[in-house]
Amino acid sequence: MKTQLTITPDPIGEATLVAERQLSENMGAVVVFHGIIRGEEAGESITSLDYEANEEMARHQFGLIFAAIEERWPVESVRLIHRVGIVSVNEPSLWVEVIAPHRAEAFTACQFLINEMKEKVPIWKRPK
Amino acid sequence: MTVTVKFWSYFRDLTECGETTVELTGGATLGELHAAVMEKFPKLTEMKNSTLKAVGVDYQDDNYVLNDGDEVSLFPPVQGG
Repeated sequence: MKTQLTITPDPIGEATLVAERQLSENMGAVVVFHGIIRGEEAGESITSLDYEANEEMARHQFGLIFAAIEERWPVESVRLIHRVGIVSVNEPSLWVEVIAPHRAEAFTACQFLINEMKEKVPIWKRPK
Repeated sequence: MTVTVKFWSYFRDLTECGETTVELTGGATLGELHAAVMEKFPKLTEMKNSTLKAVGVDYQDDNYVLNDGDEVSLFPPVQGG
């Protein structure tokens, strides 16, 4: 399984990501998820979130999650971008792409990845 | 033995520092380290049950036996996404 992990303060350039997409002839499903900053956090209006990562540990934990996906589903590739620093409302803080032969495993693996991330990957946010 | 403890997210605000070192007797566990850290930084006590603990880049439980020079991270629940 191919993986690409980027933790970056830069905006997520989806056009470039889509242009760089690689998939083999047997792949029938590309699931893409955007995690977007809402204008409200814990009942308070916000303009942005400030993300912080323990990057070395985050990379390791993402690697464990990717390995678990590879064991469970016939996924060809996973690409994940997570922002750090300030991310404004309506902007994506997270971009995930899962490519698999069929939609069932692509959706399931994508959901698994995000659920596991929210439990294990050391990234935190603070409202601004 | 000496263990380095790093704090992340608002744990840095509660401790008013990014990291500290703690002297422990040989064979001390991660749970014993956590207790020593809470004694040094009482504001962390209110987060005792939700504190996540890692040694290096891996999560460990309170029974994990520490080694001299280990780097421990203590932090609140994660919030990626």
